[in-house]
Amino acid sequence: MTESFAPGVRVQDLTVVYRTPVGELPALAGVGLTLAPGTITGIVGESGSGKSTLALSLLNAVQPPGRISGGSVEIDGLGDVVRLTGDDLRRARGRQVGYVFQAAQNSLNPLKTVGKQLLDLGRSHDVADLPALLREARALLGRMGLDGGRVLDSYQHELSGGMRQRVGIMLALVLNAHLVVLDEPTTALDMITQATILRIVKEVHRERGLTTLIVTHDIGVAAEVTDSLAVMYGGRVVEHGPTMDVLGSPRHPYTRGLIRAIPRLSGDIGEATALPGRPPTLGTIPAEGCVFRERCPLRMAVCDTVDPAPAAYGERTVACHAVGRPVNLAVRKEYV
Amino acid sequence: MNTVIRRLTGHLARGIAMIWVVTTISFVIIRNIPGDPVRGQYEKLIEQGMGPDQAERATAALYGFLPTGSLWDQYTGYLNGLIHGDLGQSLSTPGTGVATLIGSAAKWTVLPVLGGTLLSFLLGVTLGVYAAIKRSGKLGDALAISGSLLHGVPQYVIGLLVTAIFTTLWPILPAGGPVDISFEPGFNAAYIVSLVQHATLPVLTYALASYGGWILAMKSSVATVLGDDFILAAELRGLKRSVLFRYIARNAILPLFTILALSLGMLFGGAIFIETIFNYPGLGLLLVNSIGARDYALMGGTFLVITVAIVVANIAADLLYAVIDPRVRTGGAA
Repeated sequence: MTESFAPGVRVQDLTVVYRTPVGELPALAGVGLTLAPGTITGIVGESGSGKSTLALSLLNAVQPPGRISGGSVEIDGLGDVVRLTGDDLRRARGRQVGYVFQAAQNSLNPLKTVGKQLLDLGRSHDVADLPALLREARALLGRMGLDGGRVLDSYQHELSGGMRQRVGIMLALVLNAHLVVLDEPTTALDMITQATILRIVKEVHRERGLTTLIVTHDIGVAAEVTDSLAVMYGGRVVEHGPTMDVLGSPRHPYTRGLIRAIPRLSGDIGEATALPGRPPTLGTIPAEGCVFRERCPLRMAVCDTVDPAPAAYGERTVACHAVGRPVNLAVRKEYV
Repeated sequence: MNTVIRRLTGHLARGIAMIWVVTTISFVIIRNIPGDPVRGQYEKLIEQGMGPDQAERATAALYGFLPTGSLWDQYTGYLNGLIHGDLGQSLSTPGTGVATLIGSAAKWTVLPVLGGTLLSFLLGVTLGVYAAIKRSGKLGDALAISGSLLHGVPQYVIGLLVTAIFTTLWPILPAGGPVDISFEPGFNAAYIVSLVQHATLPVLTYALASYGGWILAMKSSVATVLGDDFILAAELRGLKRSVLFRYIARNAILPLFTILALSLGMLFGGAIFIETIFNYPGLGLLLVNSIGARDYALMGGTFLVITVAIVVANIAADLLYAVIDPRVRTGGAA
């Protein structure tokens, strides 16, 4: 059967381009990211920063007109996913890597009950003992606080958002995948259901010994569940490190701006300041130099011409020319 | 179970009301078509010197009813007949019941049109899936273009082309009529072969004429489903291609079932152009001839059959939809 250890993941120099009328534009430009075995890693970023594209790349599932044009995604026990094709790739999806969609997205076939779709999944992956698969699914659903038997007999439209999300998690885990990717797992859920789903994600992660990747635009979600946090901007990972460090003492000017933009429950709403400008889209990403320079308070001459390479600072990786150098204190003050 | 019965009862009540409304409207329209053959016969007899009473009796004997009743009397008489299952007497073929005429025409319509509809549906739907999946390739383009072309060409043009090709340029099939009369009707090989030979061109024409609509409808339906999240989700769960194909096809075909059910209802109207071109004695030809002959009873009967067929097809479509789509089945209870 499958290996029962949490796999590590090493994304190296991953480039994904989208074909457009004006040529191929990069959605990911040389992204590097390591998921340590057994950890929960979060990816935060604005819409269009490439975080979902990166998540899909872990299953080599970038949708046309996009394609992976370079780099590698090494997953322990699977090898380089970018090189997998055909049935090898299909079997890896679902069995070794589980993918959970946004709850608001309808990730189930509306014409079939959950149970029948579970059996389709089992047959597709040549599961010999289907009754055992059903038992496992019921147990998983029960573990997440649902009546497994009833849910398996239900159609998608008979389930609430929170229930659908738990069904999604069940389908991602039922074949015993140990790498799980959750794309916006709590978006469009009410606060209480959000909290429940996050608690379930954390508990299941620990109990089953998973390596988990959570894509979110909600820094609060990332702070609550992740061990390490990657911040994306314009198709690049601009900062990555232990979650508490990244949020506690952000080093990349974009991360700092992002955190300053969060309104606090206690205190004046005016204390939250939005980042000036807007994030780049595929067409407006500068061809050379730093992608963040147009909105950056620390902009220097070198930023216009050289794209900063990620550099390690202890456990932290930051891609910024201004980090690690003596910075003009007058400029820096507003960010402290 | 209760919901099914309640739903069916509602459908039946609405269906009967609908049939009554259409019957009434067509009755009024038909009676107002200029050129009344009964009245004409009556007036001809008077001109020939008969007294009014005698002329009326003679006409009534010929056509089976009085030529001079008020519209209201005729209407109530007609409805009364309908309730008792009597469609009346044909005027153009005196002495024959409308029901008999329709019955014998129906058997020449139902099989060819049904065959043509189902053939084009199966062909169009299957190829439509490929046209959508391969829509950025040459095959997809070719299929879509074939659909647009055939959809744009009128039935009678296709009929004439097919006739020209298979009966003149390459004469392998008979040009018209339902069957070669030299064969003994019955369940024997020669007769059946002749039936099939005569039915081939009408079926082919009908299938070609409606194939374009199916392939285009299916292509756009599949393209929509392909963009749905659950297809990507199924792909990311590693489902087999055959399973994915079933997911796509079943979801995409849903909206087409309503159209299919309606066109099955329409088939009782016959295929007027095709039956005329191939001199095929079906319902379409019967309807055209009855209008030409101002045969009120036959017109009314044919319209009634078409109405009933469409109403029934609608009900069937609705019930069928509930079977194939669970979201409809629960009737909004979820």
